[in-house]
Amino acid sequence: MSATAIVSADHLSKWYGQVIGLNDVSVTVPPGITGLLGPNGAGKSTFMKLITGQLKPSKGSIAVLGEPIWANPVLYHRIGFCPEQDAFYERMTGMEWVTALVRLNGVADATAASMAARAIETVELADAANKKIGAYSKGMRQRIKMAQALAHDPDLLILDEPLGGMDPIARRRTIRLIKDWGRAGKSVVVSSHILHEIESMTANILLINQGRILAEGNVHQIRDLIDEHPHTVHIKADDTRALAREFLADDDVLSLRLEEGAVVVQTGRPDAFYARLTDLAASGEHGAIHEVTSPDDNLQAVFQYLVKS
Amino acid sequence: MNQNPTVFSSTVRIFDLSLGQMLWSRRSVFLGLLLGGPVVLALVLRIVTTLYASGISINGAQPPGATIFGMMVWLLYIRFIVPVLGVFYGTALIADEVDDKTITYLFTRPIPRSAVLLGKYLAYLVCTVLLVLPSVMLVFFLVVPTGGSSVAVAFPSLLADFAMLIVGLASYGAVFAVVGTRLKRPLVVGLVYAFGWEPAVLLFPGYLKRLTVAYYLQALVTHEMPQDSAVSMVLQLFHEVPTVPTSLLSLAAIIAVTLWSAGRAVEQREYVLEQ
Repeated sequence: MSATAIVSADHLSKWYGQVIGLNDVSVTVPPGITGLLGPNGAGKSTFMKLITGQLKPSKGSIAVLGEPIWANPVLYHRIGFCPEQDAFYERMTGMEWVTALVRLNGVADATAASMAARAIETVELADAANKKIGAYSKGMRQRIKMAQALAHDPDLLILDEPLGGMDPIARRRTIRLIKDWGRAGKSVVVSSHILHEIESMTANILLINQGRILAEGNVHQIRDLIDEHPHTVHIKADDTRALAREFLADDDVLSLRLEEGAVVVQTGRPDAFYARLTDLAASGEHGAIHEVTSPDDNLQAVFQYLVKS
Repeated sequence: MNQNPTVFSSTVRIFDLSLGQMLWSRRSVFLGLLLGGPVVLALVLRIVTTLYASGISINGAQPPGATIFGMMVWLLYIRFIVPVLGVFYGTALIADEVDDKTITYLFTRPIPRSAVLLGKYLAYLVCTVLLVLPSVMLVFFLVVPTGGSSVAVAFPSLLADFAMLIVGLASYGAVFAVVGTRLKRPLVVGLVYAFGWEPAVLLFPGYLKRLTVAYYLQALVTHEMPQDSAVSMVLQLFHEVPTVPTSLLSLAAIIAVTLWSAGRAVEQREYVLEQ
């Protein structure tokens, strides 16, 4: 386990009876912002519950900020957690609720109130601080959850699907807040099943599916993984049939089909294919090539590839 | 600031957080209505004794109000309402937070999990005492003056009854806290224990009755119970009551052991919330 790792999992497994939630995961999460990506049911929630000490590993070990997290409550001084579930003490005001939770960190009453006020200000909810949480909109509820997570100024913020239910403006604000947090030298582990959300926060991601970490690292490294999988290229051109004949002669073209005004190619070596395509376009040998697009250029496609593999 | 918080300080803070939630919960409203039952009964009794000079008689004699009050405390409060409160609150100390999915906020704070249980247990105790005592006091002032009893003379026994009720609430709450944290279907188990097991084993001689809370509580009853039937005479033959110190020590041990066990269960158990 790395000394600087925020989270270190070593052959970590978690099962619920016969159901495997996480399967032999060994991963190191570095400081900074890390996105945990995966579809619903992939094991994200299990991983989040394990790194927040809500669950005990069935096998293997997990350390957060260098220490085991299970049955180690003192570590929560350094961790702020924003859970996914939309659950609150509805009759309390946002201010009362955040203050009460900060008090649980051993903070004196007056200090807790000022810390709560600052956190509520940070999530731009000061105007509604004294309203009952039961009267909050979904987006406000998400933000007050964020406030309770960051109020005690933790070193590590763990956010489980924090953007769910937020309107676009609130999303933008929250993304900005998370990035600011990272720039301030804090660490964030944020989960989502929406890739562009994560991509807008960080380049460092973990891909998880079926209880396994499929890939980890920089977005660009993840993108490079695409080379290991068939890559689809959509080409709009004047003479698609001529292009198709040309491509059929190439070893790296795995399949192709003709659509109206376009040829769709699957290649096993996208770099080589794009190089030849550029030459073809420059030569004009098969007429004009109007547009080259690839659905595989976004993270969603990478993720789908990895999930399917 | 990053020191291991003590169980005591954490317990106090959980108590602060939980008391208001518990007092204004739907459960408290419902059980508050239940506690209105004896008050209504006492009011009817008072009206009857006021309107009719003969009042209520047992075997042709009008029992003193203090005796009727004592019976009501034992039969209605100790044998029914206190176990009901214990079952409904005690089994739900942690379960409510799990059902509401708010337990995450408490278990991801730098406090021992057992402090969450203890804080909630203390909140339960204060909440139920605040519900029960006004009811008992109203019943006392409505019933005791009937049948020639004196409120002033009976008042010390009211204080003893208060103490007994608090001990009863503490004991049943602790027992049902362990049921709630360790067993599946705790409400059913709790109700079976309170209204099946306890009344059954108290009827028979032997040691099984020592596995009940009611056995020890009955030693704390200060009132004389009327023996007005053959059944009660027969039961009296088997009636074995421990001494007050023995009862208090036993109940203290029950509370300590069950709370420790419940705390251990909460510390070790994983709570998987439904998504």
